[in-house]
Amino acid sequence: MKVLVAVKRVVDYNVKVRAKADGSDVDLNNVKMSINPFCEIAVEEAVRLKEAGTATEVIAVSIGDKACQEQIRTALALGADRGIQVETEGSVEPLVVAKLLKGVVEKEQPQLVILGKQSIDGDNNQTGQMLGALTNMPQGTFASEIAVDGDKLSVTREVDGGLQTLSLNMPAIVTSDLRLNEPRYASLPNIMKAKKKPLDVYSPADLGVEVTTHLTQVSVEPPAERQAGIKVESVDELVDKLKNEAKVI
Amino acid sequence: MSHQSTQQQRIEALRDLLGAANVLIDQQSLTHFGTDWTRYYTPAPLAIVFPTCIADVQALVIYAAEHSLALVPSGGRTGLSAGAVATDGELVVCLDKLNTIDAFNPVDGTLRCGAGVTTGEIQSFAEREGLYYPVDFASSGSSQIGGNVATNAGGIKVVRYGMTREWIAGLKVVTGTGELLDLNRGLVKNNAGYDLRHLVIGSEGTLGIVVEVTVRLVNPPAPHSVMLMACPSMPAIIEVLKAARSTLTLNAFEFFSDKALDKVCEATGWQRPVQVESPFYALLEFEQSDADAAQNLYAAVASQHWASDAVMSQSIGQAQQLWAFRERISEIISHWVPYKSDISSVISKLPDMLAAIDEIVGRAYPEFEIVWFGHIGDGNVHLNVLKPEALDIQTFSERCGEVNTWVSEVVREYGGSVSAEHGIGLLKKSVLPYSVSPAELAIMRGIKASFDPHGIMNPGKIFD
Ligand SMILES: Cc1cc2nc3c(=O)[nH]c(=O)nc-3n(C[C@H](O)[C@H](O)[C@H](O)COP(=O)(O)OP(=O)(O)OC[C@H]3O[C@@H](n4cnc5c(N)ncnc54)[C@H](O)[C@@H]3O)c2cc1C
Repeated sequence: MKVLVAVKRVVDYNVKVRAKADGSDVDLNNVKMSINPFCEIAVEEAVRLKEAGTATEVIAVSIGDKACQEQIRTALALGADRGIQVETEGSVEPLVVAKLLKGVVEKEQPQLVILGKQSIDGDNNQTGQMLGALTNMPQGTFASEIAVDGDKLSVTREVDGGLQTLSLNMPAIVTSDLRLNEPRYASLPNIMKAKKKPLDVYSPADLGVEVTTHLTQVSVEPPAERQAGIKVESVDELVDKLKNEAKVI
Repeated sequence: MSHQSTQQQRIEALRDLLGAANVLIDQQSLTHFGTDWTRYYTPAPLAIVFPTCIADVQALVIYAAEHSLALVPSGGRTGLSAGAVATDGELVVCLDKLNTIDAFNPVDGTLRCGAGVTTGEIQSFAEREGLYYPVDFASSGSSQIGGNVATNAGGIKVVRYGMTREWIAGLKVVTGTGELLDLNRGLVKNNAGYDLRHLVIGSEGTLGIVVEVTVRLVNPPAPHSVMLMACPSMPAIIEVLKAARSTLTLNAFEFFSDKALDKVCEATGWQRPVQVESPFYALLEFEQSDADAAQNLYAAVASQHWASDAVMSQSIGQAQQLWAFRERISEIISHWVPYKSDISSVISKLPDMLAAIDEIVGRAYPEFEIVWFGHIGDGNVHLNVLKPEALDIQTFSERCGEVNTWVSEVVREYGGSVSAEHGIGLLKKSVLPYSVSPAELAIMRGIKASFDPHGIMNPGKIFD
């Protein structure tokens, strides 16, 4: 069974992002970039399937400029077998990403595609679902557990107030939630081996996709600064302030 | 007059001086504020006082000088040598209320703040300004800049950024006569006579009370990666260190023993980060642009069998998690009231010195658990002997003290230091002569007498 995993290069989850002075975008100068945490979980799941003997090959695909090869190499170090970069410039909208991934799916014919449920930069939560629609494959989103049984895939999903379990016919699409697994560290021997693993580069044209934009980012601004707290002297004062200043009681 | 009524009078006088709310004498406060992170002494101060401004501190010191009242300056009380411990009716001067961050000067790249501001607050302030304060260690959330100055604190970034001393551009200090010294005033260049600032740094409250500190801030370092390497022995770690120093821009080079990792994993439930179990682990932090060089380093040291496995962080979260294995050690092993040695030597002599100490420790403590960790990249290691639950603290401390003398002899033989970064306080007075000659000690006493002619500034600390 072939597994395709999508990985995205994003600003590291722990970075306190700042807006550029002109408000045009987030300032990425001298900022740590990492693999999107949900994508990392997707990679880990695929690698575990391979280690369990369920998957035979894990392919990591990333869409972006040359720099995203770094995150493909991370996926390879974690245990993916080969990488694919679809080379694009600037930011690409979820629909285009989904179309490009569809192109890769058609080329590679995986039984299972695992994506992060969303990327922490755009927070769109669209790509997996759009890929499902475009490929007409069944989808299990927000997965907290998956299990392969023959050509069926059982997906446990985190839904409001509980868990839902679906049974999908493969080939299928899964998007990972936070609790699906805890990713491992990349070991140095594996990081070095990853350098020698194959990495193919395609252009959108190779996949028959035209990169279009439907959205224009107008401005980016930081959230309003929180006002400093104050200490009150008594419960009465607290109640008074809650009533008359904050007007919450 | 009876002892008790003298005490009562003094407390009244202190209340008049500082306001009743700034003088605490309840038993809980006396115990809480009268001691630091060490647990070998029973605190018994007269009272705890909280000056709220520099003038308060001066008035206090003048009062104390007139009444021969010993003062113990107290910061975040995270010290590891009992420098801030009051065992003998002293007045504990708590700097918590001198906690304003006064003036950030972007032109000079300096930040002026009260002695009671925590190290963590300075780090956060710097971060908000897009800058960086590089002195960092596991207790920085509680330790105060005044305490850092008084102990010349080191920490985990010394390899790259040096000790607290490097970052102090100015100090205001109240001496034992109540005089206020305004030292160095933020200057980069100042050769006007002796630099008293540097005498106060590391003086553990014995020369005066630090009331205000001006620190330098720098541009933040480039994004970094962390590598955790499994190494078979301490000499192997030193070989890795030598190789790393010539190939990477190191921010940090730390190590810990398997026993340390064991304790951390046991207490936290965390998975071991490396597959291969190994007697020691080295933790390297370096600029991310050196990631390729780090891989080459690993390949080179692995081929020499100086390392058997390693992992490298792929995100800031993973870097923090790898650091946590190192940073949680102190706190987690504090459960076993560890007897700590904080020793250093120059790197070139470190392998031989550590081999000699390891031999002594193995022989002397066959039944005790030993935890090694520390800032080995600076030539500084912490040897921790854990107290068996069944043994009482007195017997334990005596047994360890004896062995510590042997350890100190080895340290002297190699020209090292018996206190690399924790100071002497009360805890290490007996070993001070292993690192300081009689002539040096005499000069130190003279310096103390000049700053503190009445002998009221943290008396009995460092030397008697
Ligand atoms: C978990 C843990 C990890 C640690 N790691 C490190 C490390 O990596 N490197 C390191 O160097 N240290 C380390 N320490 C030790 C300690 O945190 C530092 O020595 C710190 O600088 C002490 O600051 P403090 O404010 O807590 O000082 P305190 O413990 O309150 O006092 C320390 C000494 O300074 C004096 N003092 C305090 N404030 C003043 C003042 N305003 N004026 C004059 N004298 C004053 C006290 O009298 C005492 O002698 C660690 C401690 C812990 C608990």
